[in-house]
Amino acid sequence: MNVSSIRIDQVLQRLHSAAGAIGRAVSFMEVCGTHTVAAFRSGLHSLMPANVRLLSGPGCPVCVTSQGDIDQLIAAGSLPNVTLCTYGDMLRVTGANGSLEQARSRGADVRVVYSTLDAVRFAADNPQRQVVFAAVGFETTAPASAAAVLEAAHLNVKNFTVLVSHKLIIPAMDALLSSGLVKVDGFLLPGHVSIIIGADAYRPAVKQYGLSCVIAGFEDQHIAAGLARLTEMARDGVRQLENQYYPAVTDAGNRHAQQVISQVFEPGDVTWRGLGTIPGSGLVLRPQYAAFDAAQRFGLPVQEVPEPPGCRCGEVILGHCTPAECKLFGTACTPIRAIGPCMVSSEGTCQAWFKYKRTASANLQAAHVQRPPAQRPATAGQGVDA
Amino acid sequence: MMCLAVPAKLVALKETQGVADLHGNRVDISTLLVPEAKVGDWLLVHAGFAIQRLDPQTAQETFAVLKDVEAAANAGGDP
Repeated sequence: MNVSSIRIDQVLQRLHSAAGAIGRAVSFMEVCGTHTVAAFRSGLHSLMPANVRLLSGPGCPVCVTSQGDIDQLIAAGSLPNVTLCTYGDMLRVTGANGSLEQARSRGADVRVVYSTLDAVRFAADNPQRQVVFAAVGFETTAPASAAAVLEAAHLNVKNFTVLVSHKLIIPAMDALLSSGLVKVDGFLLPGHVSIIIGADAYRPAVKQYGLSCVIAGFEDQHIAAGLARLTEMARDGVRQLENQYYPAVTDAGNRHAQQVISQVFEPGDVTWRGLGTIPGSGLVLRPQYAAFDAAQRFGLPVQEVPEPPGCRCGEVILGHCTPAECKLFGTACTPIRAIGPCMVSSEGTCQAWFKYKRTASANLQAAHVQRPPAQRPATAGQGVDA
Repeated sequence: MMCLAVPAKLVALKETQGVADLHGNRVDISTLLVPEAKVGDWLLVHAGFAIQRLDPQTAQETFAVLKDVEAAANAGGDP
């Protein structure tokens, strides 16, 4: 969609008009860390009608990674003779023995790479090192991980392996909906994941669960327009999938990327923070690429361990509680010294909340304290805190 | 941001190894996932890989918005 063709004031007018006509509270869920941050940063939450909520679902790759997978990653990074290559997001996630950043300060060789191919090149140039790439993320990052494995196989780089904890968005949505864990009126679907998997990938779930869904881009106008359309669909009882990120997102998606993914990976049962193990919801290496499996090469089992005491990240990513309802939020757990992954990640709900919404929440709480309950307007706070 | 892609213009290409102009910076990218890409195309680039071709108008408009975001972030002192 052409960005300039959307005017934010008109979109907000549509949103408020539709919300006013519904006469009940509606909630929608986005499942993408980039949507989370963009919606907070732009102030969209404070511009929304009181009866419309946008929840952040399990869409931030760091936040949905289980504690066991994080511990495994940090164990890999702490091995002697291993160079661990990762996207920057994973650097500060804390496991049982600290974070990768802390491991690096103790002497571990942990490097942030821009592209997976940089990790392969580093391995080719340093045959005496074992190079492990942390393959994390949804369908947007999975093709890059697969391409790295293919490149290493092609160049016969034997000291390159991947530690895989890729996740798939549709089985996660399916699990959320079939379990009844999440009750929402619709989903704001992620543009860049959808570029890879295509709009058609959502259609079975949309039909099965009678969902209203809008695929949206990442600019403020895109998100506001997606939300306005979802609210109009709720008003009109329309349950279907609409693609507002056309032409970037096609019905079929990027077939080359899909082919690269399925050449290297196959669906596997993986564990999500807050959701447990979901069948077929992740990617594992196909047997013919088992030689590139870092977990096998270094004997790194995944041991699921409890999440940090008091941490409610698992509930936050299901929209069951807001960050402000967690006792650790803003006190023991801050972006500087984060306890849970939702505060660590730049895409995490807790960090976005801390950066962009904390003052508003604090002011609101102060206002509630000062004002006797009887005089408080019935809708007070919903526009900011809900 | 792990899942954020940005538009860039392909300025050189040899097999699947390309160089893209990303907001004035030259970056190495792979066109493995968009094999139809050719020099002069606008591409959506994610973590060193082109993932989609864009029509030039959409790319320019996205850039304009990103510039606004950058200006606002700089003004606020928070990236």
